[in-house]
Amino acid sequence: MYNITTDRYAVNSNGTNRLPFRLLSCTAVKRLAIVSGLLLPMATASLATAAEEREPAEVYRQVCSHCHNLDKAVGPMITMPFPEGAWEVRGNHIRNTVRQGRAAMPSFREAKISDAELEGLIDALLRGELANAAVGEE
Amino acid sequence: MSTTQRILPKGVAEADFDAALSLFRDTIGSESVLTESEQLAPYTKFMMAGEDADYIPSAALLPNNAEQVQELVRICNEYKVPIWTISTGKNLGYGSAAPGETGQVILDLHRMNRIINVDPEVCTALIEPGVTYQQLYDYIQEKGYKLWLDPPAPSAIAGPVGNTLDRGVGYTPYGEHFMFQCGMEVVLANGEMIRTGMGGIENSSSWQVFKWGYGPYIDGLFTQSNYGVVTKMGLWLMPEPPAYRPFLIQYQDPEDIAEIVDVLRPLRISQIIPNAVVIVHTLWDAGTHVVRKTYYDGKDSIPREAIERIKQDEGIGEWNVYAALYGTPEQIEINWKIVEQAFGASGKAKIMYGEEAEQRGGGFEYRAALMKGDMNLQEFGLYNWRGGGGSMWFAPVSQAKGSETKDQTELAQQILGKYGFDYVAEYIVGWRDMHHVIDLLYNREDPEETQRAHDCFAELIDEFAKRGYGLYRTNTEFMEQVAGTFGEPLRNVHTALKNALDPNGILSPGKSGIRQ
Repeated sequence: MYNITTDRYAVNSNGTNRLPFRLLSCTAVKRLAIVSGLLLPMATASLATAAEEREPAEVYRQVCSHCHNLDKAVGPMITMPFPEGAWEVRGNHIRNTVRQGRAAMPSFREAKISDAELEGLIDALLRGELANAAVGEE
Repeated sequence: MSTTQRILPKGVAEADFDAALSLFRDTIGSESVLTESEQLAPYTKFMMAGEDADYIPSAALLPNNAEQVQELVRICNEYKVPIWTISTGKNLGYGSAAPGETGQVILDLHRMNRIINVDPEVCTALIEPGVTYQQLYDYIQEKGYKLWLDPPAPSAIAGPVGNTLDRGVGYTPYGEHFMFQCGMEVVLANGEMIRTGMGGIENSSSWQVFKWGYGPYIDGLFTQSNYGVVTKMGLWLMPEPPAYRPFLIQYQDPEDIAEIVDVLRPLRISQIIPNAVVIVHTLWDAGTHVVRKTYYDGKDSIPREAIERIKQDEGIGEWNVYAALYGTPEQIEINWKIVEQAFGASGKAKIMYGEEAEQRGGGFEYRAALMKGDMNLQEFGLYNWRGGGGSMWFAPVSQAKGSETKDQTELAQQILGKYGFDYVAEYIVGWRDMHHVIDLLYNREDPEETQRAHDCFAELIDEFAKRGYGLYRTNTEFMEQVAGTFGEPLRNVHTALKNALDPNGILSPGKSGIRQ
């Protein structure tokens, strides 16, 4: 009965959660740790590269939209395109705000929005690609 | 491998910490062991008053499964490294993702986000700590199950496991979250793994349906505590009812709170109104979408005259009751008549639902969403009320009796006024109890105001305790003080349990004031 559901709802950015899962007894885990001291980290590391990134629109829907959509207005509008000359400054501002929080906005750590997902989100925001999402359009 | 700012766990030598870090990396991979200050920034103190320097982690560990948690805990035991466990880390206003004290290693379970099972027949779920309400909501929607969640106000970005373990509440009939929890998998401090309830029976099909198992019931030991790391949790989901009617009742006089609670109590106990009802004060109801300076720009507590203007201009009552009826259309019609009769008796209440309620100026739309388990973060608008993002939840518990409201409300307003803060509050009527939830909002960018908020919160705790009102939950800065209000005999039992289950004191030292 302990089969793990592995579908897209396991939204981890680090693909390791897609390992076939089996409950191990404590003794078994100990043994594993002892006998595979090197194998375990290697396996983890290789799977970590199989990241399953969410698209920027999906990250925006799951995390940002609840406060930043126009009909919510808890946070400021963030989806308007920026002139290319301001992308670096604006991008740094978004990155710092996401990672460290600002005023009413909580911080979101790497486990919630991976670095790669954050960079994709920033890029899409700067280009104005999520403007429709902010008004609730698909 | 080096840290830019070398913070060490309390009592751990640098060489030992480095050795532990090395083993952590061997266990979960280097990319899942965070030590750089840039990586650790999201794990520092956020909304709560207190010294920033008191809440800096030395590292963060991001395991992917319970077996890795077991191994990490064993390493921590060997090197006496204290860890502070978080799941989604969105316990906003209670400590968020920051450690309980500087130097602790964060055990961040957010990557453990598997939805293991949702059973649409017995209406249960088994999930890991990193699962958010949004994730579970999306899953249920896609599967087409007619099941509702019960999110707290941060809904989408928070998660059922963390909220339940902190004994948080929501707004549907399943609002008392721990009451609807069923079965846990827990990693103990020694690395052993246990399953509570029926979970110890191999091949049991009743882990998520029968809470008590056999022998002492121990799930409660793993809530608001530091006796183990919960790696899976079962919960009950509410079947979607055939009909749903959220409604709003407004009262205009500050004194009316006593009548409201006395009318509500029998309706709640008899389950005519089955959900956690909120009685929202003007400033909370306005604060989710109105900015304070529109009505008052002073540094002191907002005056009565401004509150009256808000009521007038925004269409908000002094007290705004949000509740709902659930069931078949016929059941709702019968229960609606009872509600109308009960609240209509004194002639003071304005009772409404549907379009009429939507057109009022308060938070009907978002309250109606939360009372049916939809994702909605409109309540975050409160953080803009005063501006500056400081927030601490003060929430004493009392009986659901009108006689318990007048003194409490006046005491809170008097203490908040003394420190220049506003009474942004609501009462949540549970089954027989009442949480008097006050959001102490302040500008955390202003050190003087932050210190005032800190002093105000401390005084609220003491003065309410003197009158017999204890908190149901608090933030990491005040856990020690609140534990003290519940008396030494209880604390001694908590300590004895800690010493028995975690003799090296490695799990979340200081949680709920519990240490070795």
